[in-house]
Amino acid sequence: MSNGQNGAELRLVTPGMAIGPSAGMRVGSGALAQNDTIIATRLGWVKHLNNTVSVDPINSAYMPRSGDLIVATVAEVRNNLWFMNINGPFQGLLPMSLAPWKVEFGAARQHMGIGDVVLARVQEVDECHNVVLTMKGVGLRRLNQGSVHSVPITHIERLRGEGNATIQRLRDACDCRIIVGENGKVWVDGDADGIAWARQAIDLVHTSGHKKSFEADLSALENNAPKNGDA
Amino acid sequence: MVELVPTLLRQELARLAEDDLRLDGRGRWDGRDVDLQIDCLYNAEGSAKVVMGKTIVYAGVKFEIRTPWPDRPSQGSLMCGAELRPVAHRKYEPGPPSPQSIELGRVVDRGIRESGCIDMESLCIVPGEKVWGVMIDIHVLSDGGNVFDACGLAAIAALRTAVVPAERFDVGEDYTLKVNGTPIMASFTRVGGRYVFDPSEEEELGGDERIHITLGDEGHLHSLQKGLRGVFTPAEFAEIFEVAHQRCSELRKLVATQEGN
Amino acid sequence: MGGYGDVKLLRDDGLRLDGRKLDEMRPVTIEAGILPAADGSAMVTHGLNVAVAAVYGPMEAHPRKIQRQDRAVIDVRYNMAPFSTSDRIRPGFNRRSREISKVTAEALESVVLVERYPRSKIRVEIEILAAEAGTRCAGITAASVALADAGIPMRDLLVGVASGKVEDIVVLDLDKAEDNYGQADLPVGILPNTGEIAFLQMDGDLSPDEYNLAMEYNFKAAAEIHEIMVDALKRRYEGGEN
Repeated sequence: MSNGQNGAELRLVTPGMAIGPSAGMRVGSGALAQNDTIIATRLGWVKHLNNTVSVDPINSAYMPRSGDLIVATVAEVRNNLWFMNINGPFQGLLPMSLAPWKVEFGAARQHMGIGDVVLARVQEVDECHNVVLTMKGVGLRRLNQGSVHSVPITHIERLRGEGNATIQRLRDACDCRIIVGENGKVWVDGDADGIAWARQAIDLVHTSGHKKSFEADLSALENNAPKNGDA
Repeated sequence: MVELVPTLLRQELARLAEDDLRLDGRGRWDGRDVDLQIDCLYNAEGSAKVVMGKTIVYAGVKFEIRTPWPDRPSQGSLMCGAELRPVAHRKYEPGPPSPQSIELGRVVDRGIRESGCIDMESLCIVPGEKVWGVMIDIHVLSDGGNVFDACGLAAIAALRTAVVPAERFDVGEDYTLKVNGTPIMASFTRVGGRYVFDPSEEEELGGDERIHITLGDEGHLHSLQKGLRGVFTPAEFAEIFEVAHQRCSELRKLVATQEGN
Repeated sequence: MGGYGDVKLLRDDGLRLDGRKLDEMRPVTIEAGILPAADGSAMVTHGLNVAVAAVYGPMEAHPRKIQRQDRAVIDVRYNMAPFSTSDRIRPGFNRRSREISKVTAEALESVVLVERYPRSKIRVEIEILAAEAGTRCAGITAASVALADAGIPMRDLLVGVASGKVEDIVVLDLDKAEDNYGQADLPVGILPNTGEIAFLQMDGDLSPDEYNLAMEYNFKAAAEIHEIMVDALKRRYEGGEN
């Protein structure tokens, strides 16, 4: 919808399927050139943009990139660092020096324990998938209340909407604070009714974020939002 | 693999419990919709599939001919086993059956065995020489919470459809296994400080101990099990015992309805 | 193979016992995304075979010694449910399932772009719920649909098919009787778009000509099954537009 396709026919391809000739085209993600043909490597929608052919996958694991804002959970605490579950193949590492507090060696546990949820940024990812996180930065902090939900990585854009319009609609409808992590974890905070409604809205992204009916379904849900008073 | 329990999940469950609410909007004693199919596996002598929310379980019954135990020359045998295989969830790892799998299989086994729904004498072919061994194997394909009830239901439903393959073993004509009763399990987990029926995956993750109750047709107890860390009071048990009666008779009706079709 | 027997497997009219033509496969149905807890999944029914596959990952490879610094490893478990065959199978890994798991993993590693995920592991769980000859092929087909469903990048799908020989005649897709009393079985895993072969086993007795014909049948069937796989994956996202 927001992929610059505007009316162009959308094509769903499966791995190995020929997309078109490779002559004069650049090969983007989700595709590769084999002999004279560009083939899909993932299940998804074909995208032509500025002479580049790529496939927007329908499903994807979270692969961290430096700068990503994520919602992470403490998985392990050492004397001078935390290991975080970031919903990706590998854990992220938060060293004491990148925590938002002055931490003495050995005192990491006093600031955050196993199971604690934080808002962090990916500082660095190396070739071997070693992920370093930071909590130094505006708004990065331990999340002491609210609840955490999941959305498929490939539906994050759908949840945000163009210019964050959709996510703002959700915030308004349930009167909750909502932060969408690039790792598919969504933090919601507000009163119980608001969180319950947000949960339904996020489930909707899960089940029909890829469907044409999404807009209509979301509008229907909005009519039942706590702020409309008839929930 | 030990799953990580997010602090916020436990907090949220506790807060919901204060208002007597659940994450998925169910009432405290409401179960998820149950889809039961019987006779759905081609090579099993009896089979059933149960879908409860995101939980999917298959059970299959097989027979073998064996020599009876010397002290019980005219009795056959019944065995029920369950496997929480790594297909069912990322938390399950490959390897020999885990203590959880063994517990699951044995709790289901006790409920069926102790209800007396199978007359072991009826499994005798030639006293002292040949008896039927009945084996119920339960395969958990997807763990979306409360696999115990799903396994218990699949096992008894499969058993009730079983046909003894006498012809294949050259000991007479095939006949339907006689099963007298429908023992049903109801499971409760402490979530946010109080018990709920039929916990979901998230409720199990952020919850505490669990109690499994298997009731026979007459409402008698046939198997009880308390699992995981935690304690409960007699008053709490009395409360869930009441609920178990209702839920078990509803599920028993579901089995009967499927058999009627 | 059971070897030459007195069991008649072809009818006088030249058709097979179940009425199929020599180069006709059993009906195949595929459904993607059937297991809510998995990252990707599929169920394949091929004749009376029922194979379910789940994919988890990519995830960090454990134990560390199985990690590869330059690529992901694919960890396959092929398992037959105790009730999947006419005689109950004792639960647990046996030599047969270990071998099939190993060669299936290597076949899948030949189509998955494993170099995208160094040090990680992709878990593929194949469960056979009902067996009627040809479970490893149904398992391969299910596994590759589940991998695509999980969004794992691959150069192609992988289709499992088998041909064999009964009463000195090459036939496509052996059923249980043909497998038990036939003379040869040639299960393969075919990349339908490139025409390459990633999985190959064979037992029995085939002349070079018979091998060629069996392989020809396999490629023909792979093309048919590939269409069903593509349809299953597309159906899962019906109504989609992104």
